[in-house]
Amino acid sequence: MANPTENLDPNPRTREPEDEVEEEEEAQELNSDDGELEEEEDEEDDDDDDDTVSNPQTREGQSKTESLPPGNDKTKDHIIEAEVEAVREANTLQELLEASRVANSNLRAMDIFDSVNITLDSGPPELPGTTNVVIEVVESKNPLTGQIGAYTRAEAKSSSVEASLKYKNIFGYGDIWDGSMVYGFDSSAEVGMGMYLPRFKGLPTPFSSQRSLGLSLGLLSSKYHELVYTVAWRNLIDPPRLASESIRRQLGHSLLSALKYTFKYDQRDSYLRPTSGYAFTSTSQIGGLSPDSRSLRFLKQEIDLRCAVPLGFYQTALNFGVSGGVTFPWGSGYRTASSVPERFFLGGNSSPVCSLGGPSALWGFSTRGLGPNEPRRRGDVERDFVGGDAAVTAFADLSFDLSFRWLRERGVHGHVFACAGNMAKLTENEFRNLSAPKLLETFRTSLGAGIVLPVSLFRMEINYCHILKKQEHDRAKSGFFLTFSA
Amino acid sequence: MEGDQDTSDFTLVTRKPCFGLPTACPNCLPAYIYLKLAQLPFQLAFNPTFPDSEELPYFESGTYVAYNNEDGGVIEKLKKDGIVNLDSQLQSLPEYLSLKALIVSWLDEALTYEVWVGTEGISASKIYYSDLPWAIGKFLFYKQTYLAKNRLGLTKENAERREKLIYKRASEAYEALSTRLGEQKFLFEDRPSSLDAFFLSHILFTIQVLPETSVLRCKLLEHSNLVRYAERLKSEFLEASSSSPSPPLHSFPPSFSGKGSKPKSKPKAEKSEEEKKFKKRARFFLAAQFIAVVIYVSVMGGVSSDEVEYEDDD
Repeated sequence: MANPTENLDPNPRTREPEDEVEEEEEAQELNSDDGELEEEEDEEDDDDDDDTVSNPQTREGQSKTESLPPGNDKTKDHIIEAEVEAVREANTLQELLEASRVANSNLRAMDIFDSVNITLDSGPPELPGTTNVVIEVVESKNPLTGQIGAYTRAEAKSSSVEASLKYKNIFGYGDIWDGSMVYGFDSSAEVGMGMYLPRFKGLPTPFSSQRSLGLSLGLLSSKYHELVYTVAWRNLIDPPRLASESIRRQLGHSLLSALKYTFKYDQRDSYLRPTSGYAFTSTSQIGGLSPDSRSLRFLKQEIDLRCAVPLGFYQTALNFGVSGGVTFPWGSGYRTASSVPERFFLGGNSSPVCSLGGPSALWGFSTRGLGPNEPRRRGDVERDFVGGDAAVTAFADLSFDLSFRWLRERGVHGHVFACAGNMAKLTENEFRNLSAPKLLETFRTSLGAGIVLPVSLFRMEINYCHILKKQEHDRAKSGFFLTFSA
Repeated sequence: MEGDQDTSDFTLVTRKPCFGLPTACPNCLPAYIYLKLAQLPFQLAFNPTFPDSEELPYFESGTYVAYNNEDGGVIEKLKKDGIVNLDSQLQSLPEYLSLKALIVSWLDEALTYEVWVGTEGISASKIYYSDLPWAIGKFLFYKQTYLAKNRLGLTKENAERREKLIYKRASEAYEALSTRLGEQKFLFEDRPSSLDAFFLSHILFTIQVLPETSVLRCKLLEHSNLVRYAERLKSEFLEASSSSPSPPLHSFPPSFSGKGSKPKSKPKAEKSEEEKKFKKRARFFLAAQFIAVVIYVSVMGGVSSDEVEYEDDD
């Protein structure tokens, strides 16, 4: 079941060309009295904010007026207002444009509107230096939608087919109710039901080997900071009864009560094809925040650093980045193994250029395809990749325009890349066997080239990847791969 | 950890120990006793967070795993896969099947009833949920109680009738097994079998885990030869040091005493005999006291009247 909050992006970089043109034109019109405009906005800020708060629907005599959309017959006003709060706080035209773009993205991500348009228009002549912000939404006519797809998750044991039905916005709070059925390729089936609220992010999501029922509460969400509290009842199971020894030992019920803080600073010019700028993300998570000492206790830290350097010709840019993470248990169980779902798993069909969620992507390696592994139960030739307590990945990617104009106009471009990654177990005194030479010696590396096709909100790559170095049992092979990143 | 783990170590994974037993789960204890009776060295590992798993207990050796929900149970699977078979040449005996039916159906049913319904799950919380967060433990307890009642076919209408039938069958099973066993060491000749494992597990669990108020426990304690049988096998196979490295468990008491859920309680069998002795002695003591008082009163009463006459003369 896709979680709408995964699409929430406080710093979306994707723009459609038409929107950019309109905004530039509006910006040019509004910029004609630039200096005065800003001063007047600043002077009238306090009064206008007060007016806005007291009478949000009045159009006349305000610097920033929000015309609440006639389209929200069912959706409560405060739900929409909460998503456009940043627009009220903008002081300059640039901030207004940025905030409007974020608000547009957030409203679309709620997944209850067929269309969302935010228009910036000059204010009434009697109030110079003001801007009218007009938000138009069209609520979904048909609140019932269905979806079917094939998914691979890093924590799941295998791929699965998932079908889900969603009923949207029953009560007008942006609520989404969904039911889903997952059929795993290991002959397991799960049924799940979920509820999502914009400010209370629900996450009941069935996995083929992990059942999770819980709630995720957004405590703080701003441009750079996000604080989320998650409480969930987790049940790790093994329906085919083929798991390896360390996975078998962890089967059972656990309570996750964790606080996650994310600091994200993304100054790249584009999320899907960055050509300049840099990004830094730090995610810290602490589990075991519960009076009951028997809940899952762990600490987890992830860091991402990305940099894009323009080279000045054919829109060529060099992207490079490094990601790292570590997790370990605390409390009386600090000597025991870390919980499997909290570990790091490398590999998969995503591009490290776009992903900013800790070490995970590595070109050429299958999902959960490298790292510490164990044999499965006798009779199964496959091995279980049990994940690592520490992981690090690094990549370099050179992107360039192709010579065909038709491809250039559609944003299709080429790239060559190289990446490396490794992971290790630290718990149960394994850290004593760890050494820098050994870690460097066992680094997995790959390189390749391919074509990138940006498709609306995600990026598709068709790559040829050559594995330079892998370890025994790693699931990796040289060849053509398709990757998707959102 | 990378690399194969194909060793020859045997490991039995069960639920955690409690109540003085190496594993307090009535489904896991037979497997433990079976391996001990077979004198097969093995390690013991615990899974304390999966009370509703049907796979526990499971036996593993390298990549070989025998789950309890396959092929009729872990003991049957060990027999079938040639790991350890105590029932060779016994399975063809007609008494084997009838005794097996008594133990694994009637007695098992009675034990399930007593754990989840008869004693209202007093012992279950310590056996299954003590390592789980409270909320999860509570939910699973209600779920497992509900499933147990379903398995036993209990409804509001037939609860009383079913309870009487379950206890009646248990009594009959105890009677039959007590008669069959006599003062023998094992149920079959002088060799242990899987039925000894199941029966010994039942007796140990009933006496050591169920509370003193348990009806099933009282019924079992009426058969002293069954109690002696359990004590003998326990001291020989479970308490004696073996080649297998045993984990640090609760130590077994030197004599057979039912700890139950209250540390100060004593087994009812001993208590009833002691009580009888005590009462008998008390009666003798009271009688002796009474006689002494009577003699004292009669003798001293005569002396005091003489004294009064002597004073009058003066």
